[in-house]
Amino acid sequence: MAMLNSNGFVLTTVDELLSWGRRNALWPLTIGLACCAIEMMHAAASRFDLDRLGVIFRASPRQADLLIVAGTVVNKVAPMLKLLWEQMPDPKWCITMGGCASAGGPFPTYSTLQGMDRIIPVDVYIPGCPPHPQGLLYGILQLQKKIKEKGVKKYDKAFEEFKKDMEKQGLIAREITV
Amino acid sequence: MPWMNRATADRVKFEFKDVEVEFTKHTTNLHVKQERLIDLMKHLKEKEGYRHFIDHTCIDFPDTKERFQGIYILYNPDTNERVIVKTWAKEGKLPSLEKLWACARWAEREAYDMFGIVYEGHENLRRMFMWEGYPYHPLRKDFPLEGIPEVELPSLTELYAGRTDPPSHDFELVHTRVPTLEDLERTEKARLQKKAQLVLNWGPLHPGTHGTIWFLFDLDGEKVVQSDVILGQLHRGMEKIAENIYYFQFLPYTDRMDYISAICNELSYATAVEKLLGVEVPEKARYIRTMFAELQRINSHLLWLGTGALDLGALTVFLYAFREREKIMDIIEGNAGFRLTSAFLRIGGVHYDLAEGTLDVIKAFIKDFPNRLKEYHNLLTRNRIWLRRTKDIGVITREDVFNYGLTGPVARGSGVPYDIRKLEPYAAYDEVEFDIPVGEVGDVYDRYLVRMEEMVQSLRIIEQCVAKLEKLPKSAPYVNKEHPAVMSPKEYVFMDLEDMVKNFRIVVHGENAPPGEVYSSGENPRGELGFYIYSTGGSKPYRLRIRSGALYNLSIFPKLIQNGTIADAIALLGSLDPVVGETDR
Repeated sequence: MAMLNSNGFVLTTVDELLSWGRRNALWPLTIGLACCAIEMMHAAASRFDLDRLGVIFRASPRQADLLIVAGTVVNKVAPMLKLLWEQMPDPKWCITMGGCASAGGPFPTYSTLQGMDRIIPVDVYIPGCPPHPQGLLYGILQLQKKIKEKGVKKYDKAFEEFKKDMEKQGLIAREITV
Repeated sequence: MPWMNRATADRVKFEFKDVEVEFTKHTTNLHVKQERLIDLMKHLKEKEGYRHFIDHTCIDFPDTKERFQGIYILYNPDTNERVIVKTWAKEGKLPSLEKLWACARWAEREAYDMFGIVYEGHENLRRMFMWEGYPYHPLRKDFPLEGIPEVELPSLTELYAGRTDPPSHDFELVHTRVPTLEDLERTEKARLQKKAQLVLNWGPLHPGTHGTIWFLFDLDGEKVVQSDVILGQLHRGMEKIAENIYYFQFLPYTDRMDYISAICNELSYATAVEKLLGVEVPEKARYIRTMFAELQRINSHLLWLGTGALDLGALTVFLYAFREREKIMDIIEGNAGFRLTSAFLRIGGVHYDLAEGTLDVIKAFIKDFPNRLKEYHNLLTRNRIWLRRTKDIGVITREDVFNYGLTGPVARGSGVPYDIRKLEPYAAYDEVEFDIPVGEVGDVYDRYLVRMEEMVQSLRIIEQCVAKLEKLPKSAPYVNKEHPAVMSPKEYVFMDLEDMVKNFRIVVHGENAPPGEVYSSGENPRGELGFYIYSTGGSKPYRLRIRSGALYNLSIFPKLIQNGTIADAIALLGSLDPVVGETDR
């Protein structure tokens, strides 16, 4: 929470400042998988212009902090996406765009991954087949809200807690191999 | 398009005594023994002029002795005739035709992947879509659509929130097999034996590959010595889905194949199914279909123009092209209710009548668009950089067009006037006037010019459709609802008991198609999109094969890039314009 005092100084916490910077410069990785990628391109192009939100597509995972999974994720692509996700520096977020990436969509088949959250933790799910560019904009705004409210540490913390919980119950936390 | 005539069939029969000729309602089939297949194909290619390779696929009949039947579709460009050659595999083996047609190599790889048929004499028989080490052959009849769940793959969202009982959302814990990175590495190694200095991976997640195509280049400095393409990064099992649902239910799936030209896909599919079911389409629906298919063609070519230019460094064209795309998308959305994957067509007509004001908007678009085209021409056509990047790059000869089964603007860029809209008119294409632009040299620049001119021709078609639709009365039917296999439009369903019962019957029991086979194709922005439907009666096709224009167009890529540079690969791929949804299906 930033405050403006009478001498013209802005008072805020470092965490808030970082979160402000992060949520207003979400740089997604340029990846198009299927139909949703076309709508993602439309969102970035003339009419919808994602640049307004500080969303600028980067071609390298090293420079990106947002993964927009736009399109059907098939089993063959899943380990590649996982690798890209691991190459992205923390803090990072993931938006699944469309039904396929969120939960398999209209393809309950032998070759399609039934939801991106099987291999990557997902922050925002956008429904639609494909979602309208406005839908993607709304999803990004939701993510910004989420970053503002929850900060960036939630994964490590939640995961550690979950692991401890499992151990307390006498269960072994299994590594998820993909 | 006519099929092989009786005189030719008699000539073939005279040469090959054991060939059986079968004239079905929609096709002409030659049945040949597996040992004589190569001889017959050679004869058809060299003596009878069936030079153009259209498609190869297989059908699985688990109850018969030989089980797999190979199907080849050929085209004769001189007489404008097609023929289907069928042969039974012997002990799961078929001879490879790659010596006769180079693109057969890819079709055979696909059949090997999907059915497990071994092709004798194939240079490198590998899986086309799935990875090396994948143990199943999905299109076999004994393989379930949803695959075989064998890996435990929980939802991480639920895992982080703490697993609850009952689960927080509905999902199956056990998932089908997912490859490891080692599997993918093995897939890569199996494709290309390194001969030169370095094997460079281009894609699968590279923006320049127009989706998720995975290219391997064996490089000597900047020169490409050999290359291969790994597909399957968007293989969703369309053909398997089609076998498991009713005809009308598959229509929205065709949108998601070549997602840039959804309505053209629907048109090709609806035409094929209408042929099988014997449905007449009312005049108004035919014109609406033609008009929207052409709008979609412009839309698709604009995306090709924008991204192709973007790949070569021209960002402005991308933004300009998307400005016009938005206008077309709005027209489509206003009528179909959806921008991209519109599901606007129905078997027997279209889903909605024209929305109010559509024709006015389209007229305004027709008036405005030539000026926009001029803008693109100003930016690119005489641009020195554009010329140097595209002139004399990736020259395709006429022989290669037939040899590799190329269709669409890629074939026309090389001077082959192969356009299904003229050769086998569907929708209202026989009632409108338009020209087919062809190139001279067959390089990237020619394909660019052909596509630019096609947009002008599409405008011409749209103009004629608008004029015709304005004359038609508002009450004219837009769907042939009298036919027992065609669903009635919503407005009747809610008002009329008979229509409601009919729709109910179709939704529950399907269309109940007659047995038979149909090959029907449409001219898509990416080439010939054909549907081969083999029906044994009932409401689901026994086998539905999708002949993808983009797949065959891409099959020439390794040959064209040989001895070229890496920079040319981008210009070349842009001009072939594949869409992964269609190549992988």
